[in-house]
Amino acid sequence: MNQLEQLGALARRAIVNTSRQPASVVPSILFPLIFMSMSAGALNKATELPGFPQVDGFMQFAISATIIQGILFGAIGAGTDMARDIEGGFFDRLIASPVSRASIVIGRLAGAATLGFVQGIVFLLIVMLLGVTVEGGVAAIAMIAVAAAIIAAGVGAVTVSMGLRTGSSEAVQGAFPLIFVFLFFSSAFFPRDLMSGWFKTVASVNPLSHLVEGLRTQVITGVDIGAWLTSIGIGASIFALGLVLALAALNGRLKASH
Amino acid sequence: MTLTHIKATGLVRRFGEIEAVAGIDLEVAAGEVFGFLGPNGAGKSTTVRMLTTLLRPTEGTAQVAGHDVVQDADDVRRSIGVALQDAAIDPLMTGRELLALQAVLHGIGRHRSAERSQQLLHTVGLTKAADRRVGTYSGGMRRRLDLALALVHEPIVLFLDEPTTGLDPNSRVALWEEVRKLNRDFGTTVFLTTQYLEEADQLAGRIAIIDDGKIVADGAPARLKAEVGEPSLRVALPPGADEAAAEAVLLPYGDRVADGKGYVTIRLAGGASKVGMVSRALDDAGIEIEGLELHVPTLDDVFQKATGRRLEGAEEAPAEMEEVG
Amino acid sequence: MKAPALPANSLRVAWAMAERSIKLIPRVPSTFFPSLIMPIFLVVSFGGQFAGLALLPGFPTDQILNWFIPMATLQGAAFAGITTGLGVARDLENGFFDRFLLSPARRGALVAGPLIGGVLRGFLPLILLTFVTIFSAATVSGGLLGWITYYVAALGMALAAGAWAFGLAIRFKTMQVAPLMQTGLFLAVFLSTAQMPLELIGGWLHDVARFNPMTNVLALAREGFLGEVTWADTWPGLVSLAGMAAFLIVFAARGMRKIIP
Repeated sequence: MNQLEQLGALARRAIVNTSRQPASVVPSILFPLIFMSMSAGALNKATELPGFPQVDGFMQFAISATIIQGILFGAIGAGTDMARDIEGGFFDRLIASPVSRASIVIGRLAGAATLGFVQGIVFLLIVMLLGVTVEGGVAAIAMIAVAAAIIAAGVGAVTVSMGLRTGSSEAVQGAFPLIFVFLFFSSAFFPRDLMSGWFKTVASVNPLSHLVEGLRTQVITGVDIGAWLTSIGIGASIFALGLVLALAALNGRLKASH
Repeated sequence: MTLTHIKATGLVRRFGEIEAVAGIDLEVAAGEVFGFLGPNGAGKSTTVRMLTTLLRPTEGTAQVAGHDVVQDADDVRRSIGVALQDAAIDPLMTGRELLALQAVLHGIGRHRSAERSQQLLHTVGLTKAADRRVGTYSGGMRRRLDLALALVHEPIVLFLDEPTTGLDPNSRVALWEEVRKLNRDFGTTVFLTTQYLEEADQLAGRIAIIDDGKIVADGAPARLKAEVGEPSLRVALPPGADEAAAEAVLLPYGDRVADGKGYVTIRLAGGASKVGMVSRALDDAGIEIEGLELHVPTLDDVFQKATGRRLEGAEEAPAEMEEVG
Repeated sequence: MKAPALPANSLRVAWAMAERSIKLIPRVPSTFFPSLIMPIFLVVSFGGQFAGLALLPGFPTDQILNWFIPMATLQGAAFAGITTGLGVARDLENGFFDRFLLSPARRGALVAGPLIGGVLRGFLPLILLTFVTIFSAATVSGGLLGWITYYVAALGMALAAGAWAFGLAIRFKTMQVAPLMQTGLFLAVFLSTAQMPLELIGGWLHDVARFNPMTNVLALAREGFLGEVTWADTWPGLVSLAGMAAFLIVFAARGMRKIIP
């Protein structure tokens, strides 16, 4: 088997694993949808506020944040699966095999990216069925899905590094609220223009704000390559950082086990 | 007239389709130490949970200390002490805190409670560890604390559910000594469940063997063992010895049982006390032997006779061999 | 040896269980910690993200903290109540609860004990949020009565949530039921006027929130923050709170009755 085939096999395993555990897929699709549906009911009137971007409803505004939320849920799954592999001994079998070390991590991230891509499309199709317009059309859907894949791999890399470092699925799950803090201190669910004071400052430096805003533009105004590249850039940065962390954690674990 | 402290009639407990306890009749007299012996999952704990009011029987009735376990559950609770399987004690609390809590649970006043705790801690040898969290205790210490907790309100009937499972041999013997003392000094009735043959043999004046939810044998350990049959005597001969000659000497004392080459084994018709005579007879006949082994029936033999299986989970060798020659 | 008359002893037993529930907080801080952190997080993040809502015509206050602090407090107090239910689940899981069941106290006392513990635990986030209220831009314009309605609502929530968690604990007998306890609470709160006043909520959520008793309880907690306390705003909250608590206590007590004579 060459490296690429190995990588493919590991990625496939990551995807199959995830899809075979409905309990881990349901939260990453259903919870964000429930949350969005409730926010849409509660905050629809807020779209009439002066300074709120032109939208056909709160759902159109919030769908990009919902996708990111789903990706965060999914990423926790990637990290937990990594930790489970360690807890269950599969990891030891992998490193005893001639599989390249890096592909243990990369394979899992390829799996996470695929799920992110699918999530992006599924979420958009669902809200379109609910009557939301995606102004950027098919091009926007494709662009968002690509960005979602990169972001999913990036956040996945961060959680995978946690899984590798701690070797405990519980510890990865425990970090769950921490990741969400980032989302709730951003402009994901409300426009920055309507915030004020120090919170606005925090939201403005929070990369997640810009990431969500870049995707949102494609939905509420139309295809905007510049905005999209911002999201891609942030996603890629998270990915680069996460990959460094994950490979370092992998190295640490390999050293510790020798 | 002897007072009955525990009486169960047709006790049944079903969990959905599964019949964990399938119609049990029991009677334990005041002051008895009663052993309830059986393998894991035989229904021991389920029976204890019903007798201690923790579980409603599906069918049948039971009285403990003269009170019905369903109708007068509170009266039963007031009369019994229970040391639960796996020593269910909160690792976050200290021994003294647990004793104080237990005293409140049984309506003992603050002053009396402190006094009683001190006394019990002394009895079970935990005075020094009293203010440490139970999480730091060893297995033996936990069991001893559990026993102390069960005794806070001076119960007249004590239930011990597998009191020594998981304990090292020393701690086990120490706990047995505690139980004997309680029974001797205060006349406390003890209902003990165990999967250890030796424990039942050592402690219980009477035992019942439970298997698959039913009682398959019931009586004093000695009587049950006697019912299994006579002890067997195995004579080991030196290489090249005359087996037929040895057999001729031995046959008057009992029937021959099939055994390996170089051995002659008989059922000892007159019981274990005949070993001396057999030994002298062999000597008189000038037959040289390598050894004599007397095998007395054990509770495991009793269990095997009743169920056709050996008792699982027992640590003892399947059959005890006592060297006498 | 006879124990003293039952009711008095039952009270002592209930109190001992409540006392233990408080004593255990510093020994397992990690389970209690979220009930202090979560309401602070809600105040800061909701207050920050949705500050603009206060500009909406028809929004009952122009200071967003007046809107979100009472909501966060109810969540925190309810979370604290849930932690006692979680303690019961832990006791059932490792068998410790059998000790309580073996006590000759009334079964009701064994339900009341943890619930009292839950209400006492509810005080901790409530006191914390009281400081937040005093030292932030929020104002309790309803004065003393406003504080009283706020406290009553929060402690009532701690009681109701404790009963909900107890009822689940005694049925499932495992700490794995924790997410169900928490999700139930979140849904109850967010399917009401947690984020927006009823008049400004649209769609299906409006209909759900209208019939959700939590809407009245939130109104009770908020009324002193939004203006004068009036009987018209108070009684529906008290009735809803009492109804919810009573219903959930019955849920808890029935669970207890199912497992033991």
